[in-house]
Amino acid sequence: MPQRRSWGRRLGVLFILLWSLVPLYWALNTSLQTDAQISSKPAHYVPPSPTLHNFHSLLVGSGEIPSTIRRSTINIFVECTAATIITVVLATLAAYAFARMKFRGRTLLFYAVLATMAFPAYTTLIPLYRIMSMFSLVNTYTGIVLVYVSGFLPLATWILHSYMTTLPVAIEEAGQVDGAGRMQVLWRIVLPLAWPGVVSTAIITFLFAWAQFLFPLVLSSDDSTQPLTVAIAALQGRHTVPFGLLSSAGVFAIAVPAVIAVLLNRYIVNGLLSGSVK
Amino acid sequence: MTSLRHTRNVLLAGALTLVSVVAAGCSGGGGGGSSSASDKTTGVTITVALPTAPPPQASLDAFTKSTGITVKWTNLDWDSLQTKIAAAATAKTYFADATDVDWSRVGQLSKLNWFYPMEKYLDTTALASQMPQISSFSPGGHVIGIPYDASFLVTTVNKKLFDQAGITSMPTTLDQYTADLRQIKSKGVVQYPLNIPFAAAEGLSTYWYQTTAAFGGTILDANGKPQFATPDTPGYQAAQWMVDAIKQGLVPPGNINVPDTQAQQTLMAKGTVATTFADYSGNVGSLYNVPASSSVVGQVQYLSTPGVSGAGPNMSNPDGIGIPVKAKYPAAAAKFIEWFTSASNQADFAGANGPDKVMPGYFLPSQLAGVTELTEKGKLIGGQQLSDLLKNSAKPIFAQGAPSWYPEFSKSVYTNLHAAATGSMSVADAIKAIASTANELSS
Repeated sequence: MPQRRSWGRRLGVLFILLWSLVPLYWALNTSLQTDAQISSKPAHYVPPSPTLHNFHSLLVGSGEIPSTIRRSTINIFVECTAATIITVVLATLAAYAFARMKFRGRTLLFYAVLATMAFPAYTTLIPLYRIMSMFSLVNTYTGIVLVYVSGFLPLATWILHSYMTTLPVAIEEAGQVDGAGRMQVLWRIVLPLAWPGVVSTAIITFLFAWAQFLFPLVLSSDDSTQPLTVAIAALQGRHTVPFGLLSSAGVFAIAVPAVIAVLLNRYIVNGLLSGSVK
Repeated sequence: MTSLRHTRNVLLAGALTLVSVVAAGCSGGGGGGSSSASDKTTGVTITVALPTAPPPQASLDAFTKSTGITVKWTNLDWDSLQTKIAAAATAKTYFADATDVDWSRVGQLSKLNWFYPMEKYLDTTALASQMPQISSFSPGGHVIGIPYDASFLVTTVNKKLFDQAGITSMPTTLDQYTADLRQIKSKGVVQYPLNIPFAAAEGLSTYWYQTTAAFGGTILDANGKPQFATPDTPGYQAAQWMVDAIKQGLVPPGNINVPDTQAQQTLMAKGTVATTFADYSGNVGSLYNVPASSSVVGQVQYLSTPGVSGAGPNMSNPDGIGIPVKAKYPAAAAKFIEWFTSASNQADFAGANGPDKVMPGYFLPSQLAGVTELTEKGKLIGGQQLSDLLKNSAKPIFAQGAPSWYPEFSKSVYTNLHAAATGSMSVADAIKAIASTANELSS
């Protein structure tokens, strides 16, 4: 019976793996073929003569496409990094306040922050666009980063709050007895203990920011601020789809989050599970 | 307590300072805020957002030199651009001085008063005689966009495959066309001779509109009421013909989930199918005759739409360019549009005067004079035929312009026709559902 259950589990895992990885493999497979090979019948399940031609067209040279891709790669790093730093800093302060400081309406305020996660993000698109336009923040890094921060802050606060509530209060109290102020306690005692949670929050925020499309699409007007995700969509022609180029762009765009997910997955899992067991 | 309040203030101040510093430091790119329109037409920079690569830099530089207007070009894919236009129109904010006006969106955009009437800046009456497709952009009596290239649905046939089946004269009626399809299949030239993209997407809707026109009908009347509800109507017969085609093995079964552009690239361009009834004008030159993406170079030609008793019309699906009401420099944008859509520039962009002036992806001018120049110089494959079709048989899908509820209607069309093709509902039920949607939306 246990053996049958074990086989069932293996089959389940295999199914989920295939379900998740086959599309990624197909993108990689397509990116390594020429246009003629891509549209040949029957389809090639393995590139017959692997070529980096699509990646070369995408990244190398002085043409419009490589130039746009390079600029949008810089943009996505700037926007994701800035959003991550600001979100983590603000979330740390907020989470600490909600976890440790006692003030009137704390619980209500905390749940109000969490409740904002229930709103579909797209309902805020037009109002945010108007606000950003009013403050001349459309097509600026500032506008995009601020929108990211407003979107990711509740989740980040929740994760860090969950993490901080698992830390022993006694250590902080000992620090206060020794004369440390709130900020010193936060900086010298809480943060070192909560570091894994902070790293988890940063990674999750960065990955979420990297995957954004609609908000940066609306809030950016040209390649001075367009992130990679938006620039890739622009590769599609009006009447033709450049499958090879789009696939190589997709592979390029998922490389960074894939590396982060593979190398730092224990932090991601840790962050998502924080507070689930006390 | 004082300490606690102090700590809170420090936390708050720190957070706000950080946001401000990063906000100031992170500012990049151009401004894009609220606008107040200016009539300046020199010494200004306008933003042009279109779903296509820009004209050659030398051409844009020449425009700047002659007018003093600098053009900042934003190239976005069509879907993304429509999202941006919808967001900007809804939020009533500036995002470009000139942008795309798609034939299918004119009803919505006109209702939102989102584009300036072009007659305010250009002699649209004079343009109409040279631009047959301008009527697709005139909802409510105002022209809200100028077609910047010509696009209509046209039948394409792989002549070589037709020849192999022993078909010596090209079909001129739907009956002949259908008989030819059966002959190609029965002779084993190809297993599935006809390409219909049955994926639940816009391409299926436009295919049905074109087939309906070939059957001699229209989709909606002037009040938006359905003209296809009963079995004796052309729209109903067109749907039946399309669904019968896949059920009788004339269309590849896999086409159930294939959208239009993919089918053209992977089936028609590879000689897997012999004909596409509603293809894009220009595909012969831009796709089927391009060796890198096609194995049927020199084999595909345009065909006058096989109709009930002779040549039928060709439905127009052009893209235009218009000026949003929140444009910063509408007059300058109008000057650009006048330049961009002039016959001589269009001919240049399509390759009439050398590769240096070619605009990538541009193949068919919207001005007849541009098409004529290209044809006379032998730079347009099927040029004379395309010119004749554009001049004489290209008709708007909706005579009064697409209704404001077009996207919902189109969704009903492709969803139900797709379902009929899969066999999950009958043609009668599909048509009933589509007609019901049209009645609901138009009342």
